[in-house]
This record gives sequence, structure tokens and C-alpha cells, in this order.
Amino acid sequence: MATFTLPRNSTVSTGQTYKAAPDAKNVRSFKIYRWDPDTGENPRMDTYEIDLDKCGPMVLDALIKIKNEVDTTLTFRRSCREGICGSCSMNIDGLNTLACLKPIEDVVGEVRINPLPHMPVVKDLVPDLSQLYAQLRMIEPWLKADTAAPPDEERRQSREERARLDGLWECILCFCCSTACPSYWWNGDRYLGPAVLLQAYRWIADSRDEYMGERLDQLQDPFRLYRCHTIMNCARTCPKGLNPAEAIGKVKMLLAEREG
Amino acid sequence: MAHSNDAREALMIGRRTDGTTVRRPLSPHLQVYDMLQMTSALSIMHRISGAAWSVGLIFFVWWVAAAAAGPEAYGRMAGFMGSFIGVPILFGITAAAWYHILAGIRHLMWDFGYGYDIPTTYRTGWIVIAGTAVMTVLTWIVAIVAWAS
Repeated sequence: MATFTLPRNSTVSTGQTYKAAPDAKNVRSFKIYRWDPDTGENPRMDTYEIDLDKCGPMVLDALIKIKNEVDTTLTFRRSCREGICGSCSMNIDGLNTLACLKPIEDVVGEVRINPLPHMPVVKDLVPDLSQLYAQLRMIEPWLKADTAAPPDEERRQSREERARLDGLWECILCFCCSTACPSYWWNGDRYLGPAVLLQAYRWIADSRDEYMGERLDQLQDPFRLYRCHTIMNCARTCPKGLNPAEAIGKVKMLLAEREG
Repeated sequence: MAHSNDAREALMIGRRTDGTTVRRPLSPHLQVYDMLQMTSALSIMHRISGAAWSVGLIFFVWWVAAAAAGPEAYGRMAGFMGSFIGVPILFGITAAAWYHILAGIRHLMWDFGYGYDIPTTYRTGWIVIAGTAVMTVLTWIVAIVAWAS
């Protein structure tokens, strides 16, 4: 059953404000979600005033600046800082995206930063993604084939067969889409969500994979697949410009065709 | 917590630095997400308009039942429908029905595999909104003209 409000331990209070230096001219406020398991307190929104003249252009640059210079306790995931690792996915200005790809300039007014929505919080901006990883494991995201590969050679694909994987292989599993999906919020225990379903289709669409039938069997379920109501928040929010809703639509069509 | 049968419940238990357990907060969702973006806004509208249309069927049943029950009952029904409470309700049902039909066609189009890219999604979204306004007003013009003549 969907619960639209936050549990009592999860409501967010106003935290402290870290002022910018008095001589700073180009100041922007960053309101950042904070939760520390050791304090036993509810989450809070801390405000950090940052001089943009002394900060890199992306939201991740501001986060790193805060951690380096203002508040070392601020916790967030980051690695490649160029949109390929998927670590710094978070909710910025009301939409999920990668902090490293989000220019501060694109945000009007104060920059509100929250962890990926409707997730258990480990600390500050770090959510527990275990459920999503378990669901990814369930669809077995690897090549499954009974036919042996040609000796001393890779399994071949035509250009057309390879082209079918475009728009699928680029997914970096940042889970911006799944955590932007209201259906995944309410049914994420059983609904697989856009990211995992896009991965499922990536292997269904692979000409070298020989387990399409079994993969479709696994998805033919009122919850795993059909909790997708084509809300389209996934495609709207994907920082890589992919379209999980379309991949899910293709799975639904394959299932419909199979029914005959 | 109520979700005892939700597998995600296990993930709500975390640990403090000293090893004791702590209940983790659930990160904000509706509270922080931009729900007014066209994608989710039109989706929830589809559900609301469907529910409104279903409730509207009660008035249709009342209309048919009143017509069967005789002139007195029909007069009471017509009196309510023509009142300052009845007219907005009827207008609302008309708008909900047209929205649900047009958004439903948009959903069918997706189910046939068309129009998933975001620019097309926004274009068809605006068409649904504009179409609802136009068709609702047209329906009422036709109804009023037919009633007046």
C-alpha cells in the first residue's frame, strides 16, 4: 500500500547555515539533506552559502568544495566526475540527475539537494541501493547461451543486430530513473523499476542471447513488469538521455506478440 | 511500521558507528520531487479523471432511473442538474471524460510503440490538454444549443 507521507523518523527539519565569506560577491545557497545515524535525530536541511567565483561549474564541484573547505562531515558518493560511473546520482532541484553533469547555472535560486527519493538513507546523500542491485541480479544481466562460441572467435552480430542495443548499453546504473518513478516508490518491493527493466530488455534484444523466452517468462508478472504505467518520469530524468519507458514498452509488445 | 510484508523493510535497519542498530529514514519523495512536470502530472490526472468519470456514472444512473420512475422524479433530478451545484458537476464530468479519452488514446499510442521520446511526449501532452479544453467547450455549446432549440 502506498504511503504518501514520510514516516515520523524521516521528516526533515531546518538545520544550520554556513555563511559565505563577507567579501564574496557571487553567492549561491545550497540546501543539502543531512542525516547522521549516530545522532539519533531526524534528517535536517543544512544551508551552505558558496562563492561561485571560487567554485567549479557543476553541482558536484560545489559538494566537493563544501566537503573540502566548509564541512568535512558531508557524505556523498562520487568517483569519475564525468557522468560515466553513475555514483553521484541524487535529487537536485526536484529532479534526479548526476551531480557531476548538472551545471549550477541551470538551477534558479537556491540549489536543493536530496538523496535519491524513497530510499533508505545510509548517511546524508548516500542511499542504500541493495534492493535495486538484488533486482538487477534477478534478471541475470549477462549473456546466456547453450551454443558454444566459435573457437578462437567472438560471437558475431550484424550491424543491425548490434544497432538494436544502442540506447540500452549506455545505461550506467545510476538508478536516477527507478527512484524517479512513483510506481517504483509505491511498489518497489515487487516491481522491478525502469533501470532493471531496461537492462532486462538489453539482454532480450541481444541477438547472441538464447534465453529470450525464459527472460520473457520471468517478466510476465502483474508486478515485475506491468506496474509500469508509462508515467515517463524515467525518460524525463535520465542523465544519459536514455528511454527506459520505451524499452519496457518493447518488452510488453514482445509479450503481446507471443500471446498471439 | 505498517509494511511488515514489504521486502524493503529489512533495508530500513542500519547501524551506528558503535554497532548498535538504528532505524534509517526514508528519503523524501513526493515532498521534494517535481511532480508538476508534464510526465507525472498528466499520469496522475489520467487516474483522477478516470475515477471522476466513474463517479459521474452515478449521475447517469440517477438520470436513467429518474426517467423510468416518472415525471416527478425526473423533475427533481433535472432541477438538481440545472442548479448551481449540478452544472459545475456536469461540466467537471465532461472535462474528466474528454481528458480520459484523449489521454487514453495517448496511452494506446505508446502501447503500439509510438511517441516515447521526450519531445513527442511533451507535444502529445499539450495536445491532450488543449484537446480537453476544446472538446469540453464544444460539447457544452452543442448541449446548450440542443437544449435551447
